[in-house]
Amino acid sequence: MTGLKRNDSARLPGERPKSASAWFLWLVALVVSMALGLVHGSTVITMPQVWHAVLHPASGIIAVIIWEIRFPRIVAAALVGGGLAVAGAVMQALLQNPLADPYIVGASAGAGLGAIGAETVAPQMALMAPGAFIGALIAVFFAWSLSRGRGRSPMLTLLLAGYALSVLFSAVSTYLMLQNQTSLSTIFAWELGGIHGMVWAKVRVAAVIMAVSGLILVPQIKTMNALLLGEDVAHGVGVPVRLSQALLLLSASLFTAAAVYLSGLIGFVGLVIPHLVRRLSGPEHERLIPFSFLAGATFMVLADTLAEHLPPLGIVPVGLITAFLGGPYFLYVLARQQGRRFF
Amino acid sequence: MAERMRLEQVDFHWPGSDMALAEISGTIREGVWLALIGPNGAGKTTLLRLLAGLEQPKHGQILVGGQSLSSYSSRERSTLIALMPQAIGPLFDLKVHTVVEMGRIGRYRFWDHLMRLQRSHRRAVEEALWATDTLDLADRNFTELSGGESRRVLLAMVLAQQTPILLLDEPTVYLDPGHASDLLNRVESLVREQKKTVVMAYHDLSTVALYCDEIWAMDRGRVVLSGTASEVVLDSRMKELYALDFLSLTHPTRQRPVLLLP
Repeated sequence: MTGLKRNDSARLPGERPKSASAWFLWLVALVVSMALGLVHGSTVITMPQVWHAVLHPASGIIAVIIWEIRFPRIVAAALVGGGLAVAGAVMQALLQNPLADPYIVGASAGAGLGAIGAETVAPQMALMAPGAFIGALIAVFFAWSLSRGRGRSPMLTLLLAGYALSVLFSAVSTYLMLQNQTSLSTIFAWELGGIHGMVWAKVRVAAVIMAVSGLILVPQIKTMNALLLGEDVAHGVGVPVRLSQALLLLSASLFTAAAVYLSGLIGFVGLVIPHLVRRLSGPEHERLIPFSFLAGATFMVLADTLAEHLPPLGIVPVGLITAFLGGPYFLYVLARQQGRRFF
Repeated sequence: MAERMRLEQVDFHWPGSDMALAEISGTIREGVWLALIGPNGAGKTTLLRLLAGLEQPKHGQILVGGQSLSSYSSRERSTLIALMPQAIGPLFDLKVHTVVEMGRIGRYRFWDHLMRLQRSHRRAVEEALWATDTLDLADRNFTELSGGESRRVLLAMVLAQQTPILLLDEPTVYLDPGHASDLLNRVESLVREQKKTVVMAYHDLSTVALYCDEIWAMDRGRVVLSGTASEVVLDSRMKELYALDFLSLTHPTRQRPVLLLP
């Protein structure tokens, strides 16, 4: 080992520099976006007033607006954006497919059917969100159980089964919607995605679910790096491939279902944010996963604040904002990769 | 020398295919470089996959350290046996360092997935990079490497596993003679100096005769010839195996047989 300095604190060649500065920047971005979200809203509240209310939760009407309306809403937006971005990054590694998003194996269609089913069966009970949560998990579980067995490419089967189930579930959803005209607009608004009227109780449920799925995910983080090398290679270096894939799918589905529970179906965050983070700090999951959460949370808080503040356009659901911002950005990235220049 | 692997009447067949292995028995000892040869479709790669634990025998068993290979967990197996892949095409631009680091994942604990690597892992990665002369590639993207470089990196990845047994499937395919002999020389030093056991599927008989200690010649899923490299290469049955009447010479400096096309 001549010629190599024996210094264990030194960085190995190729090891990325400490990501402390990147952590700091993403956290600052999230805090700033949350502050922006707190200040903006239908009631005009100035920054000093916001600050006072944050520090004194029981100081009157402004404190109530801040603590019971804006805070839950912002935290919910952050959880939705972060959860979907993490789920998207996991699905992309799991399915070895850069176009994978959190909904790709049937979660969206399952959630849609769950929500509509709940609304049809018990329209007075406001069960759409729990219905969507359960529907999303059931759909993914269905697709996964079809992909098990001795076949050679279970992840491809999972993808195809998820697609077929999506078609089937969507057809049933459409039928139920046509039968149930009265709640058509409620369901349509829900499907577009939004974070209206958020309450702490709901945020807490989603936060606990996401914490659990985060704990499932942590011991699989570098496993995803190994899966990028191919299933056989991952197996060779000691990854219990089928078990890891099942745990990753479970974790991603819980993140997705918790996000859907809070906000309905919000598109594009889960697809775009991981790609953005990969461009900034590489595809290694020990950075991709946490930074995707922070970036997704920041993006979603900003999008939600923007959604509240487009008076000329009236009320715009946040799901449309994310699509309007995410779609063009993704096209831009793809064009750049092909060597084109638009800007 | 101590026994590393023993095969007892191993049978296997691919579902929905004629490809099968039948009644393969044999012992693979410590510090031995074993070559699997045979015509295309003889079952060399299939046998390597069984030895790597990627497939399970239908009947019979593969013993490693006196214990059935299938009784080990994935993590335990990855500290005993490493299979060097021929090529990989990662979906995203992974750094060479990340690829080599994956050789350690079977030994990771919960926190290794989040925090900086522990000292033992860092040392193993460093040594593997050093042994394969890939230290200065560590910062590059794997997908941008040349054929020779990426093969060395994959060797580094399996060396980071620090296993007594190394499985190689045509490790020099697509490499020019310079890079091919460089890679084989590295493997040779692993066998001679570190007493690693290497099982290698290979097509070129002269190279096998030059480097390897023993040969198992396979045909249609069976091991039809086995013995020391020189014996097997010069055996009269090689003519039937390849349907080709080789001419043989003796290597001028190494005194090993060299086969020529007639």
